[in-house]
Amino acid sequence: MPREVVGALPLDAVDLAVAASLVAVAGGVSLAMGLGLGRKLALGALRTVVQLVLLGYALDLLFGLDHPVGVLAWLALMVTAAGRAAMTRPSRTFRGAFLRGWVALALSALVTTFVVTGAIVGVEPWYDPRYLIPLCGMVLGNSLTGISLTVDALLETLDVRRDEVECRLCLGATRWEAAREPLRAALQRGMTPILNAMAVVGLVSIPGMMTGQILAGAPPMDAVRYQIMVMFMLAGATAVGSVLVGWLVFRRLVNDAHQLQAQDIVVRD
Amino acid sequence: MSVPSRAADAGLSVTELSVAAGGTTLLRGVSLHLAAGDVVALSGPSGLGKSRLLRALCGLDTHEAGDVRLDGRPPASWGWPAWRRVVSLVQQRAVMLPGSVADNLRLAFQWQSACGASFDVGTARQLLSDLGLPASLWGDEARRLSLGQAQRVALARALLTSPRVLLLDEPTASLDPASARRVEGAVRRACAAGAAALVVSHDPDQGGRLGAETLDLSPFRAEGHDAA
Repeated sequence: MPREVVGALPLDAVDLAVAASLVAVAGGVSLAMGLGLGRKLALGALRTVVQLVLLGYALDLLFGLDHPVGVLAWLALMVTAAGRAAMTRPSRTFRGAFLRGWVALALSALVTTFVVTGAIVGVEPWYDPRYLIPLCGMVLGNSLTGISLTVDALLETLDVRRDEVECRLCLGATRWEAAREPLRAALQRGMTPILNAMAVVGLVSIPGMMTGQILAGAPPMDAVRYQIMVMFMLAGATAVGSVLVGWLVFRRLVNDAHQLQAQDIVVRD
Repeated sequence: MSVPSRAADAGLSVTELSVAAGGTTLLRGVSLHLAAGDVVALSGPSGLGKSRLLRALCGLDTHEAGDVRLDGRPPASWGWPAWRRVVSLVQQRAVMLPGSVADNLRLAFQWQSACGASFDVGTARQLLSDLGLPASLWGDEARRLSLGQAQRVALARALLTSPRVLLLDEPTASLDPASARRVEGAVRRACAAGAAALVVSHDPDQGGRLGAETLDLSPFRAEGHDAA
């Protein structure tokens, strides 16, 4: 007999206040040990509440609207916010960095999300925000980490080890031959978090989406199947995003004359 | 060497070249011609832009204005990697790449621009010996070499690709006099075999020992650029 699916137990304001006391404990520890994290914790807690409440209203609105334009506009907003986050994290930057991060994120996240919702899950209608928005959010979160790590590693190598790249160029290497090692190292760094996550998933952690489905009463094996799909989706999107941003940044900083434009790399304050 | 250039001649022709760094023009209107066997020593005060000129000639930097050709053909017509193989820059600060000395010497033969040329171990070992480097260095980690050893390995690495033009930036800056003479001997032999060399050196006697003509770059200093 199929198990009856029931929703997660609802939380009220008092429950959240009790949860907030856990952050207060962390603040107390910071104060007692002089860690100076109290202000940041308070700000982080406040942002969590405000951003999630706003998201709740926005999703309510989108679900009620049930129109592709609204969903696509929200996805564009998510991609832009993720692009900004991805390209402000690296310790170095260059003119045009944001655009390249945005393009890599948009292509990797949107293509992956639509492949999953269209070809695998078979969502009807295709723009159903109940699927598209949470799945795209997960993809963006992982892809932006991969992209920011790839960019950080690539810019650091092209800046700090520019002599090595130029030495290879001087000996007749093409730009791809000269930068093969920096690119490979950067992509490895970009892929490390998702590879680590895949290595320990289910053993150390139960991922958020699976936890949510189980809390909502879904049979564990249904949640497992979704989670497997999600992990593959995240790995694919992170790989595509990292490779794409690596290629775009490389093309910008090593021009068609096979010259390294290391002078265009700026170290952030 | 002749100034001004003979654009269509065999050899390296530089016509009215302007070189800049960080948006500032350093040198303006440099013209020269290097035929096979020519050795030219570039002179001028520190900061004038001599190293920048060498970087522009091998195409590591874009020149502001003017024209560079080898055998009448511009770099793009050679293809940039092939150009840098025949117009070979050995920078003042020798860069050793990960791996052994042998790995470094073999490096340029792994790439497309080698066009199937094969690495000859005997030639490489002989070159190291000519430059006064012990045979035992062959398998050593290249990054652990002394500055002087690395500078000579860098020269050997460039010579092995049989460049038509050698651009040498302070090639003996980290060397004792005996090792410097060996480097000069290797450069003279390469030029006797048909290469040309453009040498930047602060050793005022090096040009004479290399049998080089001297080109003073001071008259080409751009207005507003004060060399240190």
